[in-house]
Amino acid sequence: MRNFLCSIFLLTGMTIAAFPQAAPRQPGELAWAIHYDPSTFDPVKVDDQVSDLVRYLTGGVLLRFNRQTQQVEPQLAESFQLSPQGTQISFKLRGGLTFSDGSPLTSADVAWTLRHVLAPATKAPIADEFLAPAGVSVETPDQWTVKVHLPKRVIGVEKIFDEIAIEPANHPSEGRVTAGPFTVSEYKRGQYLRLARNPHYWRRDGTGVQLPYATGIRLDIQNNREQEAALFLRGEYDVVDGPSPDYYGVIARKSPGAVHDMGASLNTEQLWFNQSAQAALPDYEKTWFQNRGFRVAISEAIHRADLTRIAYDGHATPAYDFISPANKLWHNDQLQYPKENVAEANRSLAASGFHRSGNQLFDAGGHAVKFSILTNAGNQARQKMSSLIQQDLANLGMQVTLVALDFPALVERLMHKQDYEACLLGLSNAEPDPSSMMNQWLSSSPDHPWNPSQKTPATPWEAEIDKLMQMQASTPMQAERKKALDRVQQIVADQQPFIYLVYPNCLQAISPSLHGAQPAILTPGSVWNIEFLRRDGGAR
Amino acid sequence: MKLVGTIAVRAGRTLLLLLAAALGTILLVRFAPGYFSDPREMDAKYSAVARTEMQAETGRSRLVNRILLDEAESWLKGDFGESRQYHIPVVKLIGGRARVSVILLAKSILMGWLLALCAALPIASLRGGRVLCSLPFTVLLAIPTAAMATACIVSDSGGPVLVLSLLVGARDFKFLRSLLEGAWRSPHLLQARAQGLPTRALVFQHILPNAAPQLYALATLSIVTALGALVPVEVIFTVPGVGQLGWSAVMNRDLPVLVAVSFLMACVVGVAGLFTSRSLTSEAV
Amino acid sequence: MKVRLPMLLMALLVLGASLTLTLSRYGYSFQDRDAIQAASSPLHWSGTDELGRDRTVRVAAALLIGLTGASLAGAITTLIAAAFGLLAAFSNRAIAALLIFVSDVFLSLPWLFLLMMARSLMPLTASPLETAVATFLVLALLGWPACARAVYSGALNLRNAEWMIQGHACGLRKRQLLRMHLLPHLRPLLLPQFLICLPAFLIAEANLGALGLGIGEPLPSWGAMLLEMDNSAMLMSSHWVYLPIILLVIVLLILESISTQVEPHA
Repeated sequence: MRNFLCSIFLLTGMTIAAFPQAAPRQPGELAWAIHYDPSTFDPVKVDDQVSDLVRYLTGGVLLRFNRQTQQVEPQLAESFQLSPQGTQISFKLRGGLTFSDGSPLTSADVAWTLRHVLAPATKAPIADEFLAPAGVSVETPDQWTVKVHLPKRVIGVEKIFDEIAIEPANHPSEGRVTAGPFTVSEYKRGQYLRLARNPHYWRRDGTGVQLPYATGIRLDIQNNREQEAALFLRGEYDVVDGPSPDYYGVIARKSPGAVHDMGASLNTEQLWFNQSAQAALPDYEKTWFQNRGFRVAISEAIHRADLTRIAYDGHATPAYDFISPANKLWHNDQLQYPKENVAEANRSLAASGFHRSGNQLFDAGGHAVKFSILTNAGNQARQKMSSLIQQDLANLGMQVTLVALDFPALVERLMHKQDYEACLLGLSNAEPDPSSMMNQWLSSSPDHPWNPSQKTPATPWEAEIDKLMQMQASTPMQAERKKALDRVQQIVADQQPFIYLVYPNCLQAISPSLHGAQPAILTPGSVWNIEFLRRDGGAR
Repeated sequence: MKLVGTIAVRAGRTLLLLLAAALGTILLVRFAPGYFSDPREMDAKYSAVARTEMQAETGRSRLVNRILLDEAESWLKGDFGESRQYHIPVVKLIGGRARVSVILLAKSILMGWLLALCAALPIASLRGGRVLCSLPFTVLLAIPTAAMATACIVSDSGGPVLVLSLLVGARDFKFLRSLLEGAWRSPHLLQARAQGLPTRALVFQHILPNAAPQLYALATLSIVTALGALVPVEVIFTVPGVGQLGWSAVMNRDLPVLVAVSFLMACVVGVAGLFTSRSLTSEAV
Repeated sequence: MKVRLPMLLMALLVLGASLTLTLSRYGYSFQDRDAIQAASSPLHWSGTDELGRDRTVRVAAALLIGLTGASLAGAITTLIAAAFGLLAAFSNRAIAALLIFVSDVFLSLPWLFLLMMARSLMPLTASPLETAVATFLVLALLGWPACARAVYSGALNLRNAEWMIQGHACGLRKRQLLRMHLLPHLRPLLLPQFLICLPAFLIAEANLGALGLGIGEPLPSWGAMLLEMDNSAMLMSSHWVYLPIILLVIVLLILESISTQVEPHA
């Protein structure tokens, strides 16, 4: 008995000593969690959201797309001018700019960075946004002016410069020497990333105080959302970016002032059916999925109010359109879409040749309507939605199996083999402009989910969507673009290639001791104005 | 001479084990779904880049013999290849993490064994009520690792060492209690107790030495259990160890890292096996 | 006599679960969407889960499915471990070395990929029960190596025990020696292995849901209910969340009581 008790004390003592402590916080340092290691610190090679965040926090850019006003603002460039044809953009740099190591920043550095981004050997993801990067040229008439010549107009070209971090010419430093508010100072893989304040940052606030206010940022690599919420409540983290609805609830219960539900985000959750002719599915199943009446019936049978209330705990908005109502500039307010109506759904199915026998629906050929819905594992809300939809479709007599796969296996089935029947996934829209959605809507694109890489559009309505999307991407006239996009939204609502389910709300948790936060819907939602954020007692 | 022979045989067997583990891993990973897929293909912004990289990967690793040659070359070079996720040499990635995992494992196995032994000895000696006295360990077996972790987080105490020790301890306790029940009831021990031998002497002079061969056997089982439980513990507590790296490598089909992790696993299993065979007679393998 | 009480309790538990399932007015998949995470009431004795499904019925169904699946899988894996270990112990040195080598290779490989392959070979429309059976079967076939090693070492020690030699000298055949003498001495290894397998397989089945295996919706999964306890929001919602784990502990206690009374005493 004595030995047993001794061992318990020993165990407790060693365990307390053995518990790994989070890196201690430095005064004035902001801290929050990221969910995985950034894949790169090289701003031209950014290819995931965390690396994108690091680039946002450290990179000095010519122009910044203000996440709140959704307007482009000058940053390192004091002013810019786009030619009427849209084939030339000129930047005038501010005077006295330096990098974080004190070396001067001139047009030579800007030109070098742009050429480096555009060079084919660099394989920068951002280069493709210029549409024809090989034809883009850069000239520097003097050390404060940069002129970029584009072979053809790119709608929203100014926004591309928001993602190009200017680096010292011939000395790329992977985020350690930057012209942005912070620099990468310490990285422990799997543990944390530290960013230090740039002492030579060009920007000052209204009273002449140099920005940023914070002395640094610590980004903990923390995969466990429970731990993240607990540390936030304990004051170790200043924000939780995009908490899931249940952790939002946990934080709201203990600290109601810290949580913000900003309403519908730009993102969508949708269900779609495999309409590819090459799909390894029986012909009768392809007939179902290619049948508009079948898709519309399913849309009418799904109770979206239940999805928002139950799967998202009220933190979502029913969706019928790929443009969220939060995207005020492009949302079609006059959209006609199939409303929820189970009786109407049954009529739609009957009109499409389906009939019911007992609890089971059959098609005209006598095949029982059974199919699977594929989704990715690990997303609680999506899995709840799948279960709710399974029940809704059972009311139509359809037998649905739910399969959750890990992402690589899911991508293989969806994009390489088209070996699936239906899929429930979400789409993140990082920006409101529809030009960023081209890959999804062009029928020839490999990212056209329900029937990728079509040589010619398989249906007249897909051909019409192709024409309209290409048209809106080639004209700067807002009214014409809006008209085209309204028509695309109506076609999609009529044909239901995507059965939109919900717009998840933009959720943020911001510590009451963090000052200056003005959460926005666009990423990085709570820290987009990072230069102006500071903690209580953390002013420099 | 015989010693040299034994060492040569054991070294040869371990080498063969390492090669078999590496080959098996390559085959399993290459032919599992998703090897030529990249989650970035679902992101419109990065899908073009992801697709280009996957095409290059397909060209490189479509044939298994090509993969085997590449892996063999990287082992001979000493860097074990480049991680598909992090694009840095695998040996650099694993180096620091191996240390973290070894320390976590060592502490947890030691504490787990201490807990299990100190609980199993008195409980095994009881005449009745053994099942009820083992209730805490039965409860520990039933609680998932993630729930234990949440309990630690919510109560702001404990951590990966505690959770792993409890997991290992609970499993070891079941085996030890069973083993020691028999030991307590053996005739020579009954006689020793009847003659008034103190408990400490009973335990250290009779029970433990007689049970030593089975305890060595259980040691292998214990190490393997701890290795299995290491992955969920490291992932849940975000411990930067080999388990967390291995899990991330599985989710991202990072073949070079997985081969290296299998390698390590085979080493540990091989060494753990040596403990068992040391305890056996000369006829043992 | 003593063994009868735990067996009676187990029978009562299974009977209770079966009756709950058959007599309840709610099916295990019925979603009462106006009663999400409801407290216990005359309609829903232990409240409802996050989709409005009656918890009592779901726990009852999960108990039956999980108990059947996990105990069969546990029994299979223990038998394979025993057979493997005994075969290795009673073979000549070369075969024993080969068998132990095979078990070591088994331990070192990332079998998750085999599970992914198993899922990709099954049709997506495989019913939840079919994926459940496949999952438990695969778990049973993969869970044996660690215990096999321990059985091998234990059996090797017993091979040269005096009573084994005497039994052999008395003319007992290998099968009789195995059944009457060897297996009872290996019980201290095999029974705990079986008991540990039960909760381990339940939780493994739930974790394999991330790879498309496991018990598919809307069938209730005991392991998934246990895993709900990792979410503090769930723990705060209702005390009935603990019902699955309480039942699991009871089942384990009953099984342990049976095994304790079945083991030989000196």
